[in-house]
Amino acid sequence: MILIDVIRKDLRLHARDARFLATLLLFSASCVLILSVAFGPSFQDPAREAAATLWAALFFAGVLGLTRSLELEGESGGGDAVRLSGADPYAIFLGKTIANFLLLAGVFVFVLPIASVFFDVGDLEALPGVLGVAALTLLGYAAWGTLFAALARGLKARELLLSVLLFPSLVPLWIGAVKCTHALWSGGSIEPVGDWIKVIAVADVVGLALAAFLYEYIQEASE
Amino acid sequence: MILRANGIRKRFESRWVLRDASIELQSGECVLLQGANGSGKTTLAQILATLLAPDRGVVEFDGVPALQKRQATRRAIGFASHRPLLYPGLSPLENLSFFGRLAGVDGADTRAADLLARFGLTVFARTPVERFSRGMLQRVALIRALLPSPRLLILDEPYAGLDDEGTGTLNGLLSEANGRGAAILLVAHERERPGALVGRFCRMHEGAVESSS
Amino acid sequence: MNETSLTPRWWNPAGRALWVTAVALVLASWWAAATFAPVEAQMGPVQKIVYVHVPSAIVTLIAFGLTFAASIAYLTTKQWRWDAIAASSCELGMVFATVVLISGPLWARSAWNTWWTWEPRLTSFLILWILYAGYHVVRSSIRSASRRTISSVLGIILFVNLPIVWKSVEWWRGSLHPRSVTMTGEMRETLLLSMAAWIVFFAAAMVSRLRLEWIREAALERA
Repeated sequence: MILIDVIRKDLRLHARDARFLATLLLFSASCVLILSVAFGPSFQDPAREAAATLWAALFFAGVLGLTRSLELEGESGGGDAVRLSGADPYAIFLGKTIANFLLLAGVFVFVLPIASVFFDVGDLEALPGVLGVAALTLLGYAAWGTLFAALARGLKARELLLSVLLFPSLVPLWIGAVKCTHALWSGGSIEPVGDWIKVIAVADVVGLALAAFLYEYIQEASE
Repeated sequence: MILRANGIRKRFESRWVLRDASIELQSGECVLLQGANGSGKTTLAQILATLLAPDRGVVEFDGVPALQKRQATRRAIGFASHRPLLYPGLSPLENLSFFGRLAGVDGADTRAADLLARFGLTVFARTPVERFSRGMLQRVALIRALLPSPRLLILDEPYAGLDDEGTGTLNGLLSEANGRGAAILLVAHERERPGALVGRFCRMHEGAVESSS
Repeated sequence: MNETSLTPRWWNPAGRALWVTAVALVLASWWAAATFAPVEAQMGPVQKIVYVHVPSAIVTLIAFGLTFAASIAYLTTKQWRWDAIAASSCELGMVFATVVLISGPLWARSAWNTWWTWEPRLTSFLILWILYAGYHVVRSSIRSASRRTISSVLGIILFVNLPIVWKSVEWWRGSLHPRSVTMTGEMRETLLLSMAAWIVFFAAAMVSRLRLEWIREAALERA
């Protein structure tokens, strides 16, 4: 199955680049550290500040990850070869999205305990909820991110553009993620922010649907 | 007839690189396209392989405009050019197996191993391609193009970086391809390397194709 | 080279007619705002900025909607004139969006004594502004033929994003902004006049802007 092949290929490539993975993780840890220093030393609303920090760090780490994932395609024309193989573009998009999702999930799992410890929040009860929200959000991030990263391919100042274009589009996802995580860490219930879960889900669906229509065009626009 | 391109025009910013280029390829023939640097050979090759879209003109594959049935057309074309079109972090086997599966080739792994053996690369089959020399990369790139046994082969400067042995292996494989009815377009500077393989000669001059036999 | 041979024969006269109408309407609307419309009881004379603020917002949305439609048209037909319309519309949309973002805070300052209030509509407009600025940055940094395709894809993605971003920001903040502008009598008439004026102005500017695109395209074709 093309989907599985693409995922496997991407993960394999990432796994072989230990230097990049280390940079990514260290960078996200630094983000958390810097923000905890900025908020601290005493935290007024630890659950809120921790949620904000967690997701800010994830956003920036995600841009790094997405850009790197994109670079892998351009390095010696692997991406062009994929295009020329005649494989279904949407399957390729989904494969890359899931691979990016797994990369982001890895960063999340790494950063979560760090944020929890620094801000002294979070308990095992809230964990499934937090992971669920994260999964939904990161799926949307991966989908929109893969879409935009493909657009930004071949442009100078790629990372800058990715942040400028990506962030506003991710506003719904990010507000939702922070609010839900905050709620889970302070009350242990997701009820007050049930709407936001729906927003995240809608953003996910819209992203995946847009890609179904547009990814082929994006793929073809590469010279 | 497998491939027909008519009145292809292509411009990069304000410079017209191809002005009314036309070419045809029949099943089982091997055509050599020559021309000076900057005459538009590579651009034409890329357009024929559907890597680029022309500004004007149509490329037809089996009588159907190539851009209409893009995915199906691409599965029938094998393309190699200046860039390796491989993933540097993967080994030849991993690269070839991946692309083979994308193209829907059954038994991609075995076929890849066979071709690697023919080019004398078995020993390096599991080494990441980023460590390869130019000549080795070229051979893997050619294998990638040949792997799905395509009906149309478009090879841009395929002999660059190949030693005599590699040249011989390539010519052998191309001859086999011709034998099973594939059409081959070679873009190259010189005639010596492909030798007797070539049935027809074309020349590119200032963006247009001039034919001779 | 005769310029008028590039565009349809009715183009320049139509443009002139539109400009004359536009200028007349705009002047009329300013006069109406200054003298005809009554001074609002609560906020005083500065409230009249609404006659610029609201029409600009409407025109911005029309402009970006046009970009969206033209982008779809380009992807399906591949005719360059659709991309020209999309890009020109986006440019003009940016101008009007800037007017919104300047008139908004001016109004807020006089009415509520604060420059920026994070109220949802203005915040959404800010995000809009950044997004479409990104459109232009991307467009100008691609030199190759794929520029049109990538711009069109972006034009579609950004517009689809708008409702989601809008709703999210609205839910995120309560509203200090009057929910809907309910006006009656002279105020309503002045507002309608202003909206008509600026829409015609937009049309006139589009005609002139598109003529430039025609000329540029012809110059490139004949090279």
